[in-house]
Amino acid sequence: MIHSSSPAASDCIATIVDELAHYLPQQAPLHTFVHHNTLHAFEHLTFDAAVLAAGELYGAEPYQSEAAFAKHLTSGRILSTDIDSVLREEESRSCERDWPPLVGQSLRDYRRTRLCHLFEVPWGPALAWQLRETKVLSELHPMVDASRQRVLRDWADRRFGALEPTRRMPRMLQDLWRTLEQAAPVPDEAGTRLIRRRDQLLAAGAADIDSRTQPLLIRLCAAFLDQGVALWSMPDRDRGFLAAVRVLYGQVAPLPEAWARGLADELVRQQRGNCSAEDVIEYGLVQLGVERPNWRDYLQVSLLALPGWAGMMRQFELRPDRAPVEPRPARLLDMLAVQMTFEWLAARHELKKLRGAAASFSGLPEVQPARPIHKQQQWVYEAFIMAQIAAIDLEELEQPKCAAALMEEARSFDELCRRRLLHLAYERHLRVVLLDGIAAHASTSHQQPPPCRLQAVFCIDDRECSTRRHLEESYPQARTYGFAGFFGVAMAWQGLGEVRSRPLCPVNLTPQHYVTERALHAAEESAYLETRRRRGKRSLVFGNASREMARGGLITAFLGVFSVAAMVGYCLFPRFAGGARRAVAKRKLREPMTRLLIQRTGEQRTAEGLWIGYSVPEMADIVFDALQAMKLTESFSEIVLVVGHGSSSVNNPHGSAYDCGATGGGRGGPNARAFAAMANHTEVRVALLRRGIVVPESTWFVGCYHNTCDDSMVYYDEDLMPDERIANLEEAKRAMATACALESHERCRRFVSAPATADASATMRHAQHRSMDLGQPRPECGHATNAYAIVGRRERSRGLFLDRRAFLVSYDPDNDCSGEILARLLGAVVPVGAGINLEYYFSFVDPHVYGCGSKLPHNITGLHGVMDGHSSDLRTGLPWQMVEIHEPVRLLTIVECEIPILVAVMAGSAEVSRLVMNGWLHVVVLSPTSSEMHEFVDGSFRRYEPSSRVLPTVTSSAEFYQNQIASLGCAATSASFGSDGSVAANLTGEEAPR
Amino acid sequence: MSDAWLHVVVSAIIALPVLCCFVLGVPSWFGARISERVVSTAVAWTFSLTTIAAAFALLALCLRGGAPIEVDLGVWFQVDHYEFRWRLLGDWLSLPFACFASLLTGLIAAFSRRYLHRELGFFRFYLLLALFGAGVQVVVLAGGLDLLFFGWELVGLTSALLIAFFHERPKPVEHGLRAFLTYRVCDIGLLAAAVYMHHFTGSAAFVVAAGESAQTFSGLVPPSVLMESLLVGGLLLWASMGKSAQAPLGGWLPRAMEGPTPSSAIFYGAISIHLGPYLLLRAAPILDVAPGVAASVAVVGGLTAVHATFVGRVQTDIKCVLAYASMTQVGLIFLEIGLGLRWLPLLHILGHAAVRSLEILRSPSLLQDYRHLEQAVGRQVVRSPFRFERLFPVALRPWFYRHALERGYFDTLLRDYLVGGFLRACRWLDRCDRWLTSVIVAGDQDQSKSDEVIR
Repeated sequence: MIHSSSPAASDCIATIVDELAHYLPQQAPLHTFVHHNTLHAFEHLTFDAAVLAAGELYGAEPYQSEAAFAKHLTSGRILSTDIDSVLREEESRSCERDWPPLVGQSLRDYRRTRLCHLFEVPWGPALAWQLRETKVLSELHPMVDASRQRVLRDWADRRFGALEPTRRMPRMLQDLWRTLEQAAPVPDEAGTRLIRRRDQLLAAGAADIDSRTQPLLIRLCAAFLDQGVALWSMPDRDRGFLAAVRVLYGQVAPLPEAWARGLADELVRQQRGNCSAEDVIEYGLVQLGVERPNWRDYLQVSLLALPGWAGMMRQFELRPDRAPVEPRPARLLDMLAVQMTFEWLAARHELKKLRGAAASFSGLPEVQPARPIHKQQQWVYEAFIMAQIAAIDLEELEQPKCAAALMEEARSFDELCRRRLLHLAYERHLRVVLLDGIAAHASTSHQQPPPCRLQAVFCIDDRECSTRRHLEESYPQARTYGFAGFFGVAMAWQGLGEVRSRPLCPVNLTPQHYVTERALHAAEESAYLETRRRRGKRSLVFGNASREMARGGLITAFLGVFSVAAMVGYCLFPRFAGGARRAVAKRKLREPMTRLLIQRTGEQRTAEGLWIGYSVPEMADIVFDALQAMKLTESFSEIVLVVGHGSSSVNNPHGSAYDCGATGGGRGGPNARAFAAMANHTEVRVALLRRGIVVPESTWFVGCYHNTCDDSMVYYDEDLMPDERIANLEEAKRAMATACALESHERCRRFVSAPATADASATMRHAQHRSMDLGQPRPECGHATNAYAIVGRRERSRGLFLDRRAFLVSYDPDNDCSGEILARLLGAVVPVGAGINLEYYFSFVDPHVYGCGSKLPHNITGLHGVMDGHSSDLRTGLPWQMVEIHEPVRLLTIVECEIPILVAVMAGSAEVSRLVMNGWLHVVVLSPTSSEMHEFVDGSFRRYEPSSRVLPTVTSSAEFYQNQIASLGCAATSASFGSDGSVAANLTGEEAPR
Repeated sequence: MSDAWLHVVVSAIIALPVLCCFVLGVPSWFGARISERVVSTAVAWTFSLTTIAAAFALLALCLRGGAPIEVDLGVWFQVDHYEFRWRLLGDWLSLPFACFASLLTGLIAAFSRRYLHRELGFFRFYLLLALFGAGVQVVVLAGGLDLLFFGWELVGLTSALLIAFFHERPKPVEHGLRAFLTYRVCDIGLLAAAVYMHHFTGSAAFVVAAGESAQTFSGLVPPSVLMESLLVGGLLLWASMGKSAQAPLGGWLPRAMEGPTPSSAIFYGAISIHLGPYLLLRAAPILDVAPGVAASVAVVGGLTAVHATFVGRVQTDIKCVLAYASMTQVGLIFLEIGLGLRWLPLLHILGHAAVRSLEILRSPSLLQDYRHLEQAVGRQVVRSPFRFERLFPVALRPWFYRHALERGYFDTLLRDYLVGGFLRACRWLDRCDRWLTSVIVAGDQDQSKSDEVIR
């Protein structure tokens, strides 16, 4: 019974792979880029433990580099008060170590000194070279300040007075080095980590088998997952990856490559033996000589050899509905089976070449970890430099106990420790800025804005933070609200002429409703679609022709020269060329007036089982929930804008990462339009009335769409508007136009290449330029400035300049005694906000492992991902150009409520409490009745004492940010309260008084 | 316009980019840091001026009725019968090409200013771009093979360095090296051809053949003996095959897409890749007298076109697709030249360069383009109306598919058998050498030492 053990083993392999798959990147195909925590698989750990564990596993950086922190120290981004505070907290957390008072200063002082003096500790041969060839052992370190230098010189003079003056200092330093070296603790033997056979072979002098097998594997994965780039698709790929590979490579003709000679036979063997993927993997492990207890680890390192492709395979397996064009029967197990087959064949081949036919893998040497002696030398160097810099009495250091304590400190307070504390200090700085700002704002501003004439609901997105502020500043009669940008309408949306529907809702929801749009006049629609189809066919013929031989030859030879004109346009006049392109596309193409098919009358469902449209009670629920959560339940203005958002840019594979996160990487216009249509529905209004919300008949909801890249606005269904509201809408549009122009003005201050001008119309042009420029890798800022989330009444933050940092969620604690609404809001805001924030964090701290590096060499593959240049692993995460100006801090979430309510909410949601308890974000509770704040630290709430109650006060935000390129702190702007709105308005040059 | 002025204008087409390289390169050699704005403006303006100069010269050429403009800038050195002459030539072939190349270089310089903004290698990119532009102008305006060789090398070097632009990763460096090695091996052909031309005819200059009208391109004077023509023609074909990525040497082209997108666009979509056909157009008189060479050019081009279109159809990433599309069209241009056409290839080169470079620049738009196209057509896009694979019997389709996916196995064959075989032969010779040494040394030294030698 040879096979008796194999079912259990196969089970075991399938389970192992299922578990290991969590460690692969979770990024979906690019067209639905959804921000998520890069280290989602580590959320059960605390943040600090997780970044270290993941750093170890992926070979990634946990925090910013020490060099980066050193720059923050010099630039004042981290202050010594931040470091003090962090060290104080650290001390209260951990029990005091044995630190003899003899050394002359307390442990905290010593550590403060160390954190303020970030010198590089050279490693191994570099250190040996420095000791031999530079003046490390004969001169004081350059970081030693003047007074300390005097102290040390005096001491050297006293101690070695017998020597001639020039030799005293070297003598002192050499003695110091020797003393410390003698006290150095013995490093532990580094545990050996399981590595792949490939690494062992490489270390033993064989060729890199990855360089042979990976290109082939990448080609096959790419061909299998391709969504329509190749003209000729992989045969038999609908039978699964493993089957398709067997068809292609299990033929008689072998590959000419030497390692792959046995491949055909092996695949035929698998085919004949009817081997499942699990069997193949197991066979591969056996062939590679991996022992059963090591299987999990071995499979883990194997999967992480090509994490991007493996992750994408997994995504296609788990979420076939998210495939850009068509799903594939993808399985991670299949890919791993092919990979293991290649790997063992290649490894055997190399082993045979290296050691002869009879050799086995167990004979290969383990790869040496870093030599312990190097570590010891590093500690000595660290203590040696610190003994010079810190106020340590060198005489006392000659006692073995003191030297040992110093050495122990050098060992335990290592680079990762320092970076962790520096990161905390870096975060604290930004936390203090906001909390002080809010405290000062609460205690100073008791102004009331002028009576309300316009209400506008925006997405909670940090980019709308500045749009809202500018709307309030330039039109103080406006009240703004923040609600997740799908406005509660979780739908599968199919626009006019679109081929398939796509979900427009947060990723953790699955839409149950399908909404589409129809033209008002069927004739117009068919004419429109027909023209588009004709042009589409033409561009299909001409657009692709250049890729083919015969048609391409004719077209390039006889018509090709004309594209020089297009090239000149795109390179030199992108805005003009983009405009011309759009004009040509729209020429003689009248977009028909459309209506949403929002109301369901019967019980119709789509083929996928989705309801077509919403019933009246469903619509009433959606509208009621949203209005109640925002406390937009009374004193309605004539116009209520519902603003969805998205972003348009060209030449940008990551375009969907700039769109609205609350709609799952889509554009929120249709959601806003649907919400407005629901809220204007007469029957819905009746239902609302029954539930206690009186929406006056004079109030009209208008759905609109804000393009955050070129700051344009689209207003939907204006023709349905009652005539007497048109004037109000025009006024609202003017206000929004001014706000958008100012928004572009504020955003452009962060771009080096934007014009430094006070004229908002010039920056508006620049923003349009960016959205249409093929050569622009940074179309807008995206979420790069995110750092805060504020859940509470807008009055608490109105008139507070937050530098586009905050997700602003409207919530009224008075309205929510039970915490039910808060639970719903936090259940969405915490995972989404933390997801965005943490993805930016990780892509910033390690742009090569967690991020996808520079955009410039990116190469779109299969319509689902990008590679770096030719045939690389799929790159996941955010490109460097997107995160460049980000400040990597965890999200600081301020919730305006009573503490017990928040505690109850956290207890009720496993996801929220996991993220908060494990420190993946900071939470601060703001009292609804006073400016008192409590920080959530280590499982309990602690009162926050503001360090300063002074807030810079300016008339308009422009006054504060003008000509500043770096990120800024908080400020109070008085224009939001109508004291002087003209300054802001004048910037646009539109509303100058006549 | 007087000839003297015209000579200044034609010389300026080369002199301006060269000057630009020096102005940027020399200060930075001494550690000066030049701002992004200055560098990009300098390069963009240099090539704008170059374009104007080339357009001006082209206009003058029209006015002269097509009589080539020859500029003699004197002799660099002289050895026995050989002299190296700085001779520039503006004719119907070189001036349109020069004008077009400098226009594209200028446009790419303007484009990259935004694209490479804040990139660490910004200055390096621009310096290499300017060097490349200068190299191309030298190739294009060279009055003979000797001078052309300079530009040819410069283009190859900058091309390899730009492929390896992101040198912090190993792959780009590896692929840059691969392109460079292919270039070097093929450059032997050009150098040897120049030497043989001097040997056979005493000159490697491009002239208008006696009895031809001024409307044809200047070219090499074919040697009188057919065999000699065959030899020189074959060498020039070899040289152009490397630069233009013709089968079976073209494996470096898809790998060359490692650099930043704009450099890929101008090198492998537009200019560098077309220098092979340009060289062959200069060698056209030899092709005319040696039908064997012309036939080889046609066969190489035809095979490459078929191979590349075949392989290109299964590629799944946009830059590879465009690389093979490029290779296909260049193959067709080779075919046209081999068939004796002259004006069509020139038109094809210019048209193809314009189309392809724009396509490569736009390649990151693929996702948006696909969505728009799909919406316009109203159904899932079926890319090609002509299903190439239907030509093959069903049973053989996987076999052909695999052949295409493996790129005709050319890379493996070249690497494992040709280069690998060469290396194995070298190692074998090395072993023989050591053995021989040990035998000789063993004669007067003790055994243990000779063991050491063997080891």
